[in-house]
Amino acid sequence: MRPLHERLLSDVFQEQARRLSRRRLLAQSATVAAGGALAFSFLDAPGLLGGRTVSAQTTFADDVEVLNYALTLEHLEYAFYRDGLETFSDEDFGESPFGAPISERLTSIRDHEQAHVETLTTVITDLGGEPVEEAAYDFGYTDAISFLAVAQALENTGVSAYDGAGQFLENPDLLTAAGTIVAVEARHASYLNLLNGVLPFPAAVETPLTPDEVLAIAGPFIVTDPIATPEA
Amino acid sequence: MLQPLDMLTKAGAVRLAPAAQDTASDEDILSVLNYALTLEHLENAFYRDGLASFTVDAFTALGFQPSVVDYIAEIGAHELAHVETLTAVITDLGGTPVAEGIYDFTAAYADATAFLATAMALENTGVGAYTGAAQYLIDNDDLLTAALTIHGVEARHAAYLNVLNDEDPFPDAFDEPLTPAEVVEIAGPFIVDAEVVTPLAAGGVGGDATPMAEDEEDEEAEATPAA
Repeated sequence: MRPLHERLLSDVFQEQARRLSRRRLLAQSATVAAGGALAFSFLDAPGLLGGRTVSAQTTFADDVEVLNYALTLEHLEYAFYRDGLETFSDEDFGESPFGAPISERLTSIRDHEQAHVETLTTVITDLGGEPVEEAAYDFGYTDAISFLAVAQALENTGVSAYDGAGQFLENPDLLTAAGTIVAVEARHASYLNLLNGVLPFPAAVETPLTPDEVLAIAGPFIVTDPIATPEA
Repeated sequence: MLQPLDMLTKAGAVRLAPAAQDTASDEDILSVLNYALTLEHLENAFYRDGLASFTVDAFTALGFQPSVVDYIAEIGAHELAHVETLTAVITDLGGTPVAEGIYDFTAAYADATAFLATAMALENTGVGAYTGAAQYLIDNDDLLTAALTIHGVEARHAAYLNVLNDEDPFPDAFDEPLTPAEVVEIAGPFIVDAEVVTPLAAGGVGGDATPMAEDEEDEEAEATPAA
């Protein structure tokens, strides 16, 4: 069986067709950005969220596969902020009522995602694994508003992904390391919710998502598969 | 707000009985859960009593919108939910949940500024506590996942309170795990009389009223919540 991250990436195309389209996700993200009560409606879609234990529908062969799953998402997040910050200026984001300028905060987040990418890459390599590489993405944002909406979706999904995958790690040190990352993703999510006019902490507990569920959300952003490479 | 049973279902903590292949003993698991409960009791009492002692004006006088009080009340509701969930889980496992203690937040309640600074310290400490203790649940997938789903929410609280205190909501790329000894050292000054339980796997105590003093020589992670 191929490593999970390869399946994750190559399955994207089928997922893209039959599940959440980017257009739909963005439409819902825009609703979130508009400050509506439909926050995280995409997470509430039937089948995506059942409020149940994360089952091992998709199993991880070992810790390296779990880490590559995390790295797949961190690559996506880092690329998102790196490219977005080259596209938008501080004026595009407008005044922040929450302290430092928005672009400054986003730059911190970008740097964090980069640090996560570098650390996971190093750890996977040290463990004898092959770290997954950055793919090509299309995030579909058209302006700073929709960029912030996608950022919010990515960060909240990231928290759920780590929370769902933590149980598959077998090495306690790696679990602690993952914990130090997911806490930062949750901090990012909290801030981006705040920026988008949504409660920073929408529930008393996070919602763990399975890899399949995360794929349904993140998959539409991934347009090329660096490993299997059928053209989209 | 979620009821405890909904929380249990949502967090996947209903099927809690440690599986046969688990290596951690029930006592080990219960000590970790009671450690978390020890901290959640402290947080819950802090918000409950604090919110009862401040008016909205105390916060708007600092330049905040009145909604800040609603957000803080939501955080308090989360802490209560965590207390109720952990209490139910520990009971279901046949353990004895630690009770709420007696705390001294006099300095924290001096004014709204002190309250917000203390809230920030407590939340950031809470995140570090969960980050540091998650490893002790590695043999029980459901409990680990449940703990992680609480952990993330504490981090959200911490980020928001950092913002209210004009601090960076995410000061580093990696959060700092805290040892139980470090957490007890930070939380200790607030505790007048409470049972402080820490994970047995970390050399802690499962039911002694005396805060444990293990690992005090471990200086790799200075206990410095952004306070």
